[in-house]
Amino acid sequence: MGCFLRARLSHSWELQEQRVSSMAAASTSKYNSHSLENESIKRMSREGGNQDLSETVPRLPGEMLITDKEVIYICPFNGPIKGRVYITNYRLYLRSLETDSALILDVPLGVISRIEKMGGASSRGENAYGLDITCKDLRNLRFALKQEGHSRRDMFESLMKYAFPLAHSLGLPNHHWRITFINKCYELCDTYPALLVVPYRTSDDDLRRVATFRSRNRIPVLSWIHPENKTVIVRCSQPLVGMSGKRNKDDEKYLDAIRETNRQISKLTIYDARPSVNAVANKATGGGYESDDAYHNAELSFLDIHNIHVMRESLKKVKDIVYPNVEESHWLSSLESTHWLEHIKLVLTGAIQVADKVSSGKSSVLVHCSDGWDRTSQLTSLAMLMLDSFYRTIEGFEILVQKEWISFGHKFASRIGHGDKNHADADRSPIFLQFIDCVWQMLKQFPTAFEFNERFLVTILDHLYSCRFGTFLFNCESARERQKVMERTVSLWSLTNSNKEKFKNPFYTKEINRVLYPVASMRHLELWVNYYIRWNPRIKQQQPNPVEQRYMELLALRDDYIKRLEDLQLANSAKLSAASSSPPNSSQMMSHLQTQF
Amino acid sequence: MEFSELIYTGRAQAELLRGGEAPRLRGTLCVTGHHLLLSPEPQSTPDLWLLLLRSVDSVEKRVAGDSGTITLRCKDLRVLQLDIEGVETTLDIARSIEALSSLESVITSFPFFYRPKGLRLGDAWHFHPPERYYKRVARETTAWRLSEVNQDFSLCPSYPRAVIVPRTVDDDALARCARFRQGGRFPVLSYHHAPTGTVLLRSSQPLAGPQKKRCAEDEELLAAVLACGPPGARGFIVDTRSAQAAKQARLTGGGTEAKAAYPGWRRLHRPLERGRPLQESFMRLVKACGDTEQSMDLWLSRLESCHWLAHVKEALTTACLAAQGMEREGACILVHGTEGTDNTLLVTSLAQLILDPLSRTMTGFQELVEREWIQAGHPFQLRCAHSAFSHTRPKHEAPTFLLFLDCVWQLSRQFPLSLEFGEGLLLTLFEHAYASSFGTFLCNSEKERCLCEVRTRTHSLWSALNQAKEQRKLRNPLYVLNPLTIWPSVEPQSLRLWQGMFLRWSRPPESSEVVWEKVWQIVAEGEKTEGAQPTASASA
Repeated sequence: MGCFLRARLSHSWELQEQRVSSMAAASTSKYNSHSLENESIKRMSREGGNQDLSETVPRLPGEMLITDKEVIYICPFNGPIKGRVYITNYRLYLRSLETDSALILDVPLGVISRIEKMGGASSRGENAYGLDITCKDLRNLRFALKQEGHSRRDMFESLMKYAFPLAHSLGLPNHHWRITFINKCYELCDTYPALLVVPYRTSDDDLRRVATFRSRNRIPVLSWIHPENKTVIVRCSQPLVGMSGKRNKDDEKYLDAIRETNRQISKLTIYDARPSVNAVANKATGGGYESDDAYHNAELSFLDIHNIHVMRESLKKVKDIVYPNVEESHWLSSLESTHWLEHIKLVLTGAIQVADKVSSGKSSVLVHCSDGWDRTSQLTSLAMLMLDSFYRTIEGFEILVQKEWISFGHKFASRIGHGDKNHADADRSPIFLQFIDCVWQMLKQFPTAFEFNERFLVTILDHLYSCRFGTFLFNCESARERQKVMERTVSLWSLTNSNKEKFKNPFYTKEINRVLYPVASMRHLELWVNYYIRWNPRIKQQQPNPVEQRYMELLALRDDYIKRLEDLQLANSAKLSAASSSPPNSSQMMSHLQTQF
Repeated sequence: MEFSELIYTGRAQAELLRGGEAPRLRGTLCVTGHHLLLSPEPQSTPDLWLLLLRSVDSVEKRVAGDSGTITLRCKDLRVLQLDIEGVETTLDIARSIEALSSLESVITSFPFFYRPKGLRLGDAWHFHPPERYYKRVARETTAWRLSEVNQDFSLCPSYPRAVIVPRTVDDDALARCARFRQGGRFPVLSYHHAPTGTVLLRSSQPLAGPQKKRCAEDEELLAAVLACGPPGARGFIVDTRSAQAAKQARLTGGGTEAKAAYPGWRRLHRPLERGRPLQESFMRLVKACGDTEQSMDLWLSRLESCHWLAHVKEALTTACLAAQGMEREGACILVHGTEGTDNTLLVTSLAQLILDPLSRTMTGFQELVEREWIQAGHPFQLRCAHSAFSHTRPKHEAPTFLLFLDCVWQLSRQFPLSLEFGEGLLLTLFEHAYASSFGTFLCNSEKERCLCEVRTRTHSLWSALNQAKEQRKLRNPLYVLNPLTIWPSVEPQSLRLWQGMFLRWSRPPESSEVVWEKVWQIVAEGEKTEGAQPTASASA
């Protein structure tokens, strides 16, 4: 959106430098371009009419105010000036709040090349705490803010987000985390992506030794880092403890290194997604879980989520009660006996626990199950969705799926059975569908928090099976690379991104820094009727959603009125300036009165 | 009796817990004749907290040490907790609340004292639904007339003064019909479906008795109905009891219309639950919704075992059946059960919502409730004496009206654009049916309301609701007139628990209210701009 807007409106650049001298008569020449300075000084002309320019921030169609804040602009020419800065999805706009200066800064976000924080919460000296913005057009803008309550955070994050929409940067690498190329050719772990983020002080050799102790070499690596408290979500597979209770010093040291990336926390929380019985049983096949003796600084909890086989059987039962005929006489107890919603509840509950630990800053979290590609992907991606509003946008959600599912080796080919006639393959399981169902439950509970709608989710699921796009083909990134999927297929996201309007939730309200905790109680979970029972003609299917549709109509109607009002005002002012005082055409008035809302 | 005799202790220091996210309130608690007041200490919120005592359904008290706790369960399903200083005070206050909340006298109830600002006594009472509705029918057909045979309520104490009957049937015949129907509720017009010329009638059961008595005038009346309908019209009698129950009713003097006596009419039995089983279903549901202890994994089967959704399904199915007969088969429909004051009204009012776009408007729906429930003699005072929390054994209580509101909510969920009003109105009607400052839902019939002079001495809920400031809460901003019949899906998957009602006080953090707020903003902005347009052109 930001990029698009910017491209379309690049000509407005020229309007940027405007100066209206207080001496000039405003009515004759409103804008005199001055290109020597980038600050534009606007002074209201006394004859300038009653339109109070000082109250408005220029707004282009589609432009939205993101945040505003009182700041000190450290003008390199005139010294500090108190002002209010407005950040929209298109520009940074500053207006002086001082009476003797009418300074205006109007900078499209595309101009920004770099944003840095200057000073810290304890920095001394006047105006030492704030932001320094380097622009591509050969200038720097420095803003000082009050040194209290993270006053610059909001502004910094909004600017980072809207000035650099392509990179939703987690601020990596930083002092504690580095990017490693150890898996560049998938030699460490063939089901992991090529790029991995690991603790700064752990060497690649250490990582190789850790890999020997983790199932399928899926070592703990970073999924998400909290921008403020720097706690993290790390994902991996189970440790290879086995019957004999093996230990691995490197693995233990490594987990401690992860914990220590945040000095404030004393314990690392390990969430083992499995029921404890299954975790114990896995010891027989060489797996297991982190014991208390070996990992002193860690706390392990089991999340009781069942394995792929249980989920497959559960969905089968759902199908049995809805297709072809819906079980009518005891619908609710039949639904209960499928346990599908109960599984949804457990997955959501687990993700909520992960999100809460990290958001509260109490602990960093390590998540694993057996191989770390099914339940682990569900938990990390859902927790990220709860924690980070970026992933609730269309683009962000695509990145989330791409990262936590596709890159981290959720075995789409095996779980879906693409092109394979072996329908009874025990490797098949609706794990990804279950994740999307959880997302849908969140959509229901937070109708304004997601940029996308139900249709977007259904479309993703439809193409999970269609094989029309390369997105969900193969089991991992290395296989995709070998098969040159990127060159030979089209991505599903190219379809969704080129039809964005269809997939947008009109009620979406952008909110930064809001953590969503869905209610994971059976009372508030629902069967996703529009998906699971969509083939039944007796179930009312209304697509597109009539409420969304009607809301869009109302929006369009309002915009139309506003536009017509503006046209009228324009026409009126033209008439006024032509000094004609003819009475209004009554029939014309009637036509306006008759328009219905 | 003076209220003061029931107020054992008028004042106490107390802390109020309202559940959910509402902050605790500390302050002075006062018991008055009609209200419980809490005036918060100056440092907290300055607003006075007020509870109509009539809305308290049950009172539980507990004392420990030198303080006590009173738990108030309200008829609108809210649960409040009061922590009170002093054991004696607690017990006194609990006793006062118990006594004052269950006073039976109508004319000393709060509506007779309530004089809100901005409303005039007598406003909105003047609309006489049967008369008003007759004007509409008269525009559509001349086959029906307005009869004032019940002017003094002597024929049927639970009917209003005026009823709509076939033009060809005179008042004497009506009087004889009345004697043949339980409670005098002879068949009257409920709705004329202009597109097909068919009609919906309602009555009570015929008093056939063990001897299978007949009544010539009653038979003629129903024959006249068919004659008013489209040529060759058939009739269906939708009996809201099972065939078995209807037959058994003969033993107590009731029964059904004998087939041979009513040529052209066919009887259909669609049993709907009523009375105590319905009340118990409601109580079980509310208990399940409020139960935080139980293992949540069994929620769905517990919900099912409450049977509430099954009742919703049956009510909607029967209404669809009636609507289908009129719309698709060109048939006239007579609905009755035993008394014809509960499920009969449920079916006729729902069928109208399904068929008639006008009844889905704000005014149309209010008129429907007034005409088909209040004036039609649904005994609100008896049915809504207690809600789901009461410890007293239910006598005449039954949540039939709530079931109606739930069905309407299901319609609104399935047809989100077709009803001009929203959930807010349904919740408001539920609250006021059980406890209200207004007179609208008082008494059991029009006759009783006349005796108590409700119209002249209390305010009407409708005039309060129709004030501009209330509209945002009650209206559906997405409404567009839908001229079609709205056939609801009654599959169990299409029917949901009405969370806004039953989980109202324990809802998820963000409900659809945020969305409605957004819609309202857009609507308001649009209206504002539209309003500005003519002005703009006028200023030219």
